[in-house]
Amino acid sequence: MTALLFCAMLTIAALLYIFYLPGTLRLGPEKTRLSYLRERKDAVYENLRDLNFDYKAGKLPEADYQSMKSSLEEEAASILSEMERIQQNAALRATKIKTTRTIR
Amino acid sequence: MSQIGSFALLLALALAAYSFLGGLFALWQKGPVSERVGETARRAGIATFAVIFLAALVLVTCAFLNDFSIAYIYHHSNRDLPAPYKFATLWSGQEGSLLFWSLLLSAYGFVLRLRYKTDPRLFAYASVVIAAVQIFFLLLLNFAAHPFALMQGSLPDDGTGLNPLLQYPEMVIHPPMLYLGYVGFTIPFAFALGALAMRYPGEKWIHITRRWTMVTWGFLTCGIFLGMHWAYSVLGWGGYWGWDPVENASLMPWLTGTAFLHSVMMQEKRGMLKTWNMWLIFSTFMLSIFGTMLTRSGLVSSVHAFAQSSIGDWFVAFLGIIFVVCLVLYLLNHKHLRSEHKLESLVSRESSFLFNNLLLLVACFTVLWGTLFPKISEWVQGTKVTVGAPFFNRVNIPVALLLLLLTAIGPLLAWRRTSLESLRRNFMFPLIGALIVGSILVAFGMKPWQDQSYFYSLMTIMLAVMVALTVISEFVRGGRVIGRHTGQNIFASMWQLARRNTRRYGGYIVHFGVVVIVIGFAGSAFNQDAEKEMSFGDKLTIGPYTLVCETYTEDDNANYGSQWAVMQVYKRGAKIATMTPERRFYKASQQTSTMVANRSTLAEDLYVVYEGQNQDTGRPIIKVYLNPLVMWIWIGVWIILAGTILAMIPNEQAQAVAARVAAPARLAQAEPVGAGD
Repeated sequence: MTALLFCAMLTIAALLYIFYLPGTLRLGPEKTRLSYLRERKDAVYENLRDLNFDYKAGKLPEADYQSMKSSLEEEAASILSEMERIQQNAALRATKIKTTRTIR
Repeated sequence: MSQIGSFALLLALALAAYSFLGGLFALWQKGPVSERVGETARRAGIATFAVIFLAALVLVTCAFLNDFSIAYIYHHSNRDLPAPYKFATLWSGQEGSLLFWSLLLSAYGFVLRLRYKTDPRLFAYASVVIAAVQIFFLLLLNFAAHPFALMQGSLPDDGTGLNPLLQYPEMVIHPPMLYLGYVGFTIPFAFALGALAMRYPGEKWIHITRRWTMVTWGFLTCGIFLGMHWAYSVLGWGGYWGWDPVENASLMPWLTGTAFLHSVMMQEKRGMLKTWNMWLIFSTFMLSIFGTMLTRSGLVSSVHAFAQSSIGDWFVAFLGIIFVVCLVLYLLNHKHLRSEHKLESLVSRESSFLFNNLLLLVACFTVLWGTLFPKISEWVQGTKVTVGAPFFNRVNIPVALLLLLLTAIGPLLAWRRTSLESLRRNFMFPLIGALIVGSILVAFGMKPWQDQSYFYSLMTIMLAVMVALTVISEFVRGGRVIGRHTGQNIFASMWQLARRNTRRYGGYIVHFGVVVIVIGFAGSAFNQDAEKEMSFGDKLTIGPYTLVCETYTEDDNANYGSQWAVMQVYKRGAKIATMTPERRFYKASQQTSTMVANRSTLAEDLYVVYEGQNQDTGRPIIKVYLNPLVMWIWIGVWIILAGTILAMIPNEQAQAVAARVAAPARLAQAEPVGAGD
């Protein structure tokens, strides 16, 4: 009888915790290409810092360092330009929507 | 009590099922209702932990209360079992260890569900995957391996006791460590599967799971070496690794997990090997489940498999389901996993990671093939063909040597490509060091042409020296850069360096730990042993040691009766120790067990076993092993753990030095997180 009572109380406690207390799980918006590019940009910056550090530590000859640095900088530049393009397009879209609303 | 435990398991199954179905609904449907359902699913996952914890608590309490009406307690405990082993009853048998698996998974899930705000959508996917795995284990516990099943007929007065091999202090911590490792791989697997299902853009999921993976890898490493230490101390055969199927089962996920830890760096740094990494973590999880199956189903015979049953079919079905789910999600979303860069040169950091991965997978496949071959040969030919240590060693020793070489070379290679000048600049020091040490060893009598094992030992030590010098040069070079900017001495600079990029330098410390361990392994080529029937005053000589038998004696307690020999040990004529190898007879289980006497130093272990009495002469048999460098293995594990812990600590923000050694002006806006620059 005690076991039965304990099991009933356990079930009630679990159900109360799960269903009674208010709350919602906001999943947030889907991750965008822009936020992905931000992460890539951070990764390339980190690679650049590691490269600089290895060069300062004497692990890389000058020619290797310069070639790798320019290649990483190119990669960073292309990421930055795509980010800029996306941001400009987004701004353009926002302006269009605003203009349409004003005309209406 | 047993009714409460049984009910808790049923309730846990219901909660896990709700967490899975509710979580799926919340991911597929949008709107306020699904948000509420999603939150209830998350809470159901949290409640699952509490309820499974209650079930485990009930089982342990029953062990302490000697409730032999529960079959599991009857088979794995007895009245006179010491308290720590009563606690260990939880994972001593099949049903209990499956409950323990489930408990650990729910504990990992509990932490994950509490930390969901890091990335709610990704965590929601991971939570659903964890709930699905949880359902499998709870189905097993409720319907195939019930830990609260009751005894039939009249109640026994005492239990049959715990297996004597398990009555050893390390057995109280070895299985939890191993299980924390096995179970823990569910978390990166859940995140990976979730990321694939939701076509998660970018590599942030790897960043989120990195610490989980390292914790898991650390536990598995610790569990494997504790198992080795247990085997060395309890089984009394003088060795620590016998390529036993259950040992192999723990090694396989460790090998693929190690490969994953290395190759994810390529994905994070360069956006490469996305498909490879996804399948590596899928394989690691499946090998963890496979390992659990080997340990618990009795599929293969092993000194470590303390359970025999028919739950193997359940595991095979579950493994099949996992594979199909992974494959379908991969086929639907594989375009999302395209690499952003290609391999530019074979001489680069990327290619060293790639080779490292291939070698680890070759080792894993060899171990898998050797483990399953007896079973496969039985199915195909009807006769079981046993695969022994020579098969595993023939493949894995050369593979391990190549891995060691890559461990020495890899950190010195640049990302993308490495020039000849760079190679010359970085390799000269470690290479010369290794050659000098090799020459010294040969000069002092290590003749690699005499025996293959000597050759392997020499190569191991030379490569270990190379890795150690690589690690030291990385620390010294980095420390000098920091020192130039801060004016600190080299040791303070190296410490700051490690704090600024804990992952990189923690990893190097792990490599150093591996060096220490392989030096310990290399010592096994020079093992010696001797066996003798010894009466009072008899002598046995091995290496520089002479053992003199002083006496034999007996003792008895409620749990076991024991006999032991008292041996005086002399080294080059001087008395250095008294050793007492022991043999126990456990009353409840009616089984004997060996307690080895071991005198361990940095140079060698003097390992003495009392093997019992000769059936014909009645004289006691003493076996002695002289195992060089074994202590290095256990020291190496501590170093690996220290490195792993360091790698998990967040980087200290680079401050003053970062301003001086800045990235190019155009890119200087990024936050400083690099290698101490």
